[in-house]
Amino acid sequence: MNLFPLLFNVYLSFTNADLSGGPVQLVGARNYTVLFSQAKYANALTTTALFVLLSVSIELVLGFVLALALRDRVPGKPVVLTLLLVPMMLCPVVLSLFWNLILNGHYGVLNQLLSTLHLPQPQWLTDDDLKLVSILLVDVWMWTPFMMLISLAGLNAIPKHIYEAAEIDRAGRFMVFRTITLPMCAPLLGLAVLLRATDALKQFDLVMAITGPNDATTQTLSARIYQVVFRDYKVGLGAAYGVVVLVAVIAVATIFVRYIDTLNRRTGKAQA
Amino acid sequence: MRLARALVIVPYLVLATLPLGWLALTSFKSYEDTISAHAKFVPGTEAGGARAEGSVKFTATVDAYRKLSQPVAGTTRDFYHYLGNSVLIGLLSTLAAVCLATLCAYGFSRFRIPGTKDWLFFVLSTRFLPPLAVVVPVLIMYRRFGLENTHLGLILLYTSFNLSLAVWLMKGFIDEIPRAFEEAALVDGYQRPAAFLRIIVPQAATGMAVTAVFCLISSWNEFGFAMTLNNYEAKTVPVYFAGLQGNIDGVPWPQIAAGMMIFVAPIVLFTVLVRKHLLRGVTFGTIKQ
Repeated sequence: MNLFPLLFNVYLSFTNADLSGGPVQLVGARNYTVLFSQAKYANALTTTALFVLLSVSIELVLGFVLALALRDRVPGKPVVLTLLLVPMMLCPVVLSLFWNLILNGHYGVLNQLLSTLHLPQPQWLTDDDLKLVSILLVDVWMWTPFMMLISLAGLNAIPKHIYEAAEIDRAGRFMVFRTITLPMCAPLLGLAVLLRATDALKQFDLVMAITGPNDATTQTLSARIYQVVFRDYKVGLGAAYGVVVLVAVIAVATIFVRYIDTLNRRTGKAQA
Repeated sequence: MRLARALVIVPYLVLATLPLGWLALTSFKSYEDTISAHAKFVPGTEAGGARAEGSVKFTATVDAYRKLSQPVAGTTRDFYHYLGNSVLIGLLSTLAAVCLATLCAYGFSRFRIPGTKDWLFFVLSTRFLPPLAVVVPVLIMYRRFGLENTHLGLILLYTSFNLSLAVWLMKGFIDEIPRAFEEAALVDGYQRPAAFLRIIVPQAATGMAVTAVFCLISSWNEFGFAMTLNNYEAKTVPVYFAGLQGNIDGVPWPQIAAGMMIFVAPIVLFTVLVRKHLLRGVTFGTIKQ
């Protein structure tokens, strides 16, 4: 169930199969030459890379700052945490459909709030420069809690006595942050970044819900595959795209597993 | 320090929960109020739409919830039909994934299997794949076997795709059960299967429940496969809502909002129930607390 589609995908990428089910012929590497010469391929690749880079870094910084603010006793902490975590568990496509109503340029509530504050009211969903920003906004809203959750785990795992030792040594606040807090959280933050990056690489739901699959400024690789296979019916070419994405994802996933291994070994040593 | 902390938490909390609050408000509005150029924030009870143009009040109504049992213009089925599909597919695939994963995780946890790490990695790799990258072969395979547009098709797919998460989570939970328990049972003359059923399963019950919640949530929320393999029969709720985007009579926002409220309510409840295990669930059990 898992292995067969992958192999079949590689085979299909060397054929001229189409969705209407005509005779299938091997065409050699033609799909790949077409793919690498398409401007849309390069475009989808840059869009995806840009999206992964921006969303993961914004979420990491925001999530880490939130975790720092929430690490000590805060009144109502369990309630606050649960409230913050809810968006990441909900259905991405359903919620981003609703975000369309919020972001709508004419009757959306966001622009109305901006107008009461006498700020400019951009056309979030139709302005080519802002579409990707809108998708990023929804993604950040949804996934910052994820970064916060993992950062909190990292912060809570730092033993108190290290901070006490630093206090005795009269280390400044910034010094403590830079030499204790950050390095001791780094392994878990790395894990969080890897998990989010593989997820962001797949980005499809938000793009479909907010701009549709064929928008030049927001077409990610997944949306590109959808367009090629289900709108242009070019199964062979779509399979070739699939193979390219697979290679990228497997590379990231391999890094992830290696990383967990070293992480386990290190914490194992620390306990022994 | 305290002030700085409050300055971070309070605004973020407000911004993060506002969209959900707006969703709840929208579900109690009439169509005109949802697309009004003057946002209406305050629900009122008095009837009659004779309000000043710029008023922030609107008349709260449960009309949108009532209309959920009627098909929206341009469609033939009502919301509950699609909700039924989501429930059926979600529950059956979760059940299958948790049962298989518990057995599989028990094997990985208790026996020396050559190449355990590679197997576990292989299991996990399916989770990292973008649905759209493997959808083509799956689609062709499903056409051959008549699984396209069937409940069974999605159930099988979600089972296999949830297995990765479930195996990793269950392995973590079973690793925590002391071996001495089943060894005692084996010494007492139990066979392996009996020891597994009577000792391990009751001990791992919490873990199985938590795993089930995470599997259910991921099949409940899945969109890529559901949309490409099942766009006619066995359509799930996310695909249904996505299809209402270009509706001829305008997007029926109040009904959509009401439907979304019903659709997300169980997930909010589950999130609250498993909040202690959230960290484990989202990191494939690699972080335990």
